[in-house]
Amino acid sequence: MALRPVEIVSALLLALSAGPAEAALRVVASLPDVADMTRQIGGERVSVETIALGSQDPHKVPVKPSFVTKLNRADALVVQGLGLEHAFLPALLEVANNPKILPTGPAYIDASIHVQPLEVPTSQNRSQGELHPLGNPHFNLDPVQGKLMARAIAEGLTRVDPAGAASYQAGLERYTALLDRKIAEWEKLAAPLRGVKAVSYHQDLIYLAQRYGLELVGTLETKPGVPATPGHLEELVDTMQREQVKLVIREVAYELPLAQTVAERTGARVATISTLAGGLPGTQSYVESIEANLEALLQAVQGGSAS
Amino acid sequence: MEFHRVRALLTAAPLFLLSIPASAAIADGELAEVKKELAATKQTLATTLDTLAKVERRLDQLESGATAPAPAPSGPRIPPVNVDNPAISFVIDTALKTDTHGSGWDFALRSGELFISAPVDPFLRGYASLAGSSEEGFDIEEAALITTSLPWNLTVKGGRFFADVGRFPHWHGEQLPFVDRPPSIERLIPGESRAEGAEVTWLAPIEHYFRVTTGIYNSIGERDELPPEYGSTGDRAFDQLTWLVHPSTYFDLTDTLNVEVGGTFFTVAKHGARYLYGVDVTLRHQPGTSEFYQGFVLGSEWLWNNERFHNVDDTGEIIPGSQRFKHNGGYAYLETFFGRQYSVGARFDYAEEPIDPIDRLRTYSAFATWFPSEFQRLRFQFDQIDPVHGQNDQRFTLQWTAFLGSHSHGFATR
Repeated sequence: MALRPVEIVSALLLALSAGPAEAALRVVASLPDVADMTRQIGGERVSVETIALGSQDPHKVPVKPSFVTKLNRADALVVQGLGLEHAFLPALLEVANNPKILPTGPAYIDASIHVQPLEVPTSQNRSQGELHPLGNPHFNLDPVQGKLMARAIAEGLTRVDPAGAASYQAGLERYTALLDRKIAEWEKLAAPLRGVKAVSYHQDLIYLAQRYGLELVGTLETKPGVPATPGHLEELVDTMQREQVKLVIREVAYELPLAQTVAERTGARVATISTLAGGLPGTQSYVESIEANLEALLQAVQGGSAS
Repeated sequence: MEFHRVRALLTAAPLFLLSIPASAAIADGELAEVKKELAATKQTLATTLDTLAKVERRLDQLESGATAPAPAPSGPRIPPVNVDNPAISFVIDTALKTDTHGSGWDFALRSGELFISAPVDPFLRGYASLAGSSEEGFDIEEAALITTSLPWNLTVKGGRFFADVGRFPHWHGEQLPFVDRPPSIERLIPGESRAEGAEVTWLAPIEHYFRVTTGIYNSIGERDELPPEYGSTGDRAFDQLTWLVHPSTYFDLTDTLNVEVGGTFFTVAKHGARYLYGVDVTLRHQPGTSEFYQGFVLGSEWLWNNERFHNVDDTGEIIPGSQRFKHNGGYAYLETFFGRQYSVGARFDYAEEPIDPIDRLRTYSAFATWFPSEFQRLRFQFDQIDPVHGQNDQRFTLQWTAFLGSHSHGFATR
């Protein structure tokens, strides 16, 4: 009854080839929004880990060694793109020893590839602040751009895992249908924002403003990425008073007191929004995040502070 | 009757046999036809799906406000760096310092550092750092090649570079959180951990971060004045080369609190000429927001040096005999960050000279940094310098540093 060596080897090979039913695609997402979209589209075919927290400033995400091991073992990397991750991702990829997820590699999924960038600088030097050479990368704040992000992610997942093409296509269709439904709802919900003048902390709201008709008048930062100076704040206050600006939009990663001071001096209200999912309480998903941002803006515009 | 049946069977059998190939030929023909039709249908479907995707994409783009059709995406959008030219940056690091010991006032260009880096090919990248200062001429600090696609999570580095010793010994001066190198580090490993040699780094392929660097070099640190057995220059026997091993690991205590621990050992094997042991621990709180409180870094590093030196006469000539010195030193510091522009910190340092039995130094420092922007920094530092044998001194330094171009030394100086 003893097994022959050939039978033992065959049994072992069979056992090894059987393995786990089908291992999920190990995806690392740079930011929470693209992480959520990847989960929605990939379903059970993907396991997604995220680098940045929603409460963090994407320009200041700490470069932690634990991210290196995540990237080292990743089958695919999903980024929002347009250089938004420049402060942390290049340094991590430099030591992650995973050529396939480098920007030139096949498993680097850039969610910005279908987006038409706004505020693309025609010339650039540091005297203009920290401009993104490819254009403003905060397009995720416009849910219609979100559909383009979802499409790029589905295409990327299909490229990395062709066997799941049908599944990713179905996931994309489901998610796009959800976004279409919500976009129609949000369009009606956000009607009171049309024509409202506002200032933001950082220059990151152009896509949101264009979608819902906000008029952006200035930023608390002197230039993109350059902290406010007293002289700049005086000019901003003058402009706000002249232009009757009654809304200060503070992104949750930036400090509140400065926004409150400017609001108090101009009689404006402060709305706290997040540029990333998870930045506001109860907003783990992209859809929840967009909705919470709109509610915060509406609350500030229609009375009451949303800070 | 039987005969007719047999004859009929005999007649039918060949006919039947003849009919089989004919039926097969018809079936084959039909099969080929169906296959062809299937392929054509698939082709049509693929074209239709492609058209559908393009129309959907264009619809989304129109909805998103795009005014012109977007060009078909050809790949990820990468910042337009000219691939034929390396990334170039220059650091200007100036300082004004004075002390109460009568050394006067001193304006100095502490460092002007040109840093260039670029991929060489799909397998290699290279970088170089050329630096000069008021006190020293322009020199190549680093010029190294690093592999980018070796298997088994290995990376090989070769050339002249700062050897992977501890935490701060391999940092460039302008990257440090202080205006000076900690005296303990400067005494035991002078001139950064500059070395000419090769390193192999292995990143463990597990979820927990664990990294080991091993290296072999002519020597570690700038000790040009010493003979080859101890110094940086000149050829030497194989057993007079310096060998290094540096494991490091890291733990996320919470989402924003983490600790990193490293150990360093390097040796010159010949007659146990030198052993250096080091340990470094760094605790960081990194909320990663731009709120007023931005976290802190608490770091400490200690080095133990055990080294044998030849005896020398009064003129510096080597005379028979040797002497072994065991000296150590290290620092601990805390830096807290406020807003996006400010940090304050304090440091204690204890330093011994590797070859002097009595020269010991305690330094107490306080420093404050202001970043007008991400690429400009002003730092003030006060040092209370207490030699064990000698006169105490107070030193005041104002440092002004600016970064031209995209300056980053990468992951190593995070």
